[in-house]
Amino acid sequence: MMKDVYILGIETSCDETAAAIVKNGKEILANVINSQISIHQQFGGVVPEVASRKHIENIATVVNNAFTEAGLSHQDIDAVAVTTMPGLVGALLVGLSFAKAFAYGLNRPLIAVNHLQGHIYANFLQHNDIEFPAICLVVSGGHTSLLYMRGINDYELIGATKDDAAGEAFDKIARFLGLGYPGGPAIQKAAQQGQAGLFKLPRVFLDRNDFEFSFSGLKTAAMNSWKKAEKQGNYKVEDLAAEFQAALVEVLVEKTIRAAQKYKVGTILLAGGVAANQDLRTRLEESARQRQLNLFVPSFLLCTDNAAMIAGKAYHDYVNGDFAPLNINAQPSQYSLIK
Amino acid sequence: MHITVNSEEDMLKLGRCLAAILGEDDVVYLLGELGVGKTVLVRGIAQALGYKHRVTSPTFTIMNVYDSTPPIYHFDFYRLQSHDLADLGLEDYLECGGISLIEWPQVGGKVLPREALNLEITLPADDYEGARQVQIYAQGRKYQEKLERLRQIVDIGD
Repeated sequence: MMKDVYILGIETSCDETAAAIVKNGKEILANVINSQISIHQQFGGVVPEVASRKHIENIATVVNNAFTEAGLSHQDIDAVAVTTMPGLVGALLVGLSFAKAFAYGLNRPLIAVNHLQGHIYANFLQHNDIEFPAICLVVSGGHTSLLYMRGINDYELIGATKDDAAGEAFDKIARFLGLGYPGGPAIQKAAQQGQAGLFKLPRVFLDRNDFEFSFSGLKTAAMNSWKKAEKQGNYKVEDLAAEFQAALVEVLVEKTIRAAQKYKVGTILLAGGVAANQDLRTRLEESARQRQLNLFVPSFLLCTDNAAMIAGKAYHDYVNGDFAPLNINAQPSQYSLIK
Repeated sequence: MHITVNSEEDMLKLGRCLAAILGEDDVVYLLGELGVGKTVLVRGIAQALGYKHRVTSPTFTIMNVYDSTPPIYHFDFYRLQSHDLADLGLEDYLECGGISLIEWPQVGGKVLPREALNLEITLPADDYEGARQVQIYAQGRKYQEKLERLRQIVDIGD
């Protein structure tokens, strides 16, 4: 039997500085996230931690806290995993440089992980019974993509957004309506007090037979509806939030189910920050159950950016001996899910 | 220069005209509120310069790179504040042989170059289904010359 494998994961691709230690790709021993959300709220959501300076200030503390939380010493680690794409180069480089130095200092292998593969892997951290092939909906602030997966490392992109990502549409509409930040939870909260269907928003691309998405048009339709309602004087922001969420969620759910049917899979995976949206989870659950499809969704904590998903995904690369050279560079490219 | 853009197709067409006058190291500022079509305009430019993949909003990623000829650096500073920009490493992209198309440049202040082509898109009827007004003005001699060339080739609007 193989000995236990402990992997340190580091993630600095966007707003969070995060470190985690995961045993055998499964057991999370530490999961530390230095989130800046409270600062974002003070400034209305316009101070993201894209500035590498903040990552530099945080990273050593975050990694040390991970070791303390796990009760392990540096020597106990078998490999160092780090997000190398996609993201802003400056931010990625902080984590990557730290990980390289750590791996070199300890004489341990370095493993490069794609942030989006990490999000998908969050499902495998929590569920043991996921069967392939599967359809995976990756939906976050920066991405809205449907994947056909034959295995953890074997997948193809079958559709994606042509303009805005779903999470971005949530953020922009929340800001436009003055509902606060982050936009997803803000819209969800307002929607609970409102009624969908009073405003009428389009289900964009639902009439098309492919797996492409478009949320820019939905965004402008919502803003238009709001401007008209304001002129008429009879409106409730909660009703628009409810309709907006319903329109966005319906398209995501419908296209995912259609993809599962077309590709004849029995499994659906949900991944990414927008997977935390309760309405999306509930509706996808209902639709999947009706069609006897197995749906897997990560816990709320693992939906958002974290390093446990990076360390977890890296376990499979470790087992395969798939290590990164110490001169590997960060790759900002946006569609890095396409190989 | 003023142009009335009546449809998404016209906005893409304006992008193609802009592609014809833009070259290495050029900087274009794109102003206008959410949903007026800034990203659509960028799509028109990128496609005309040979980029075949998706052109999506870089709001979340802050920047997208398109491997057109010359390459396009598509920035979006919507989420940023001016002090973030100093740490962004902008100098790695500006004046490195690509075209920089920058949404929400207002945040940039003194960090961004003064000389640029400015495009401001507005909704004259306050209606997202209606026409867009695009006002284009140049700062710096190089961009004034480019604006003159643009005037000669644009064949949309009024």
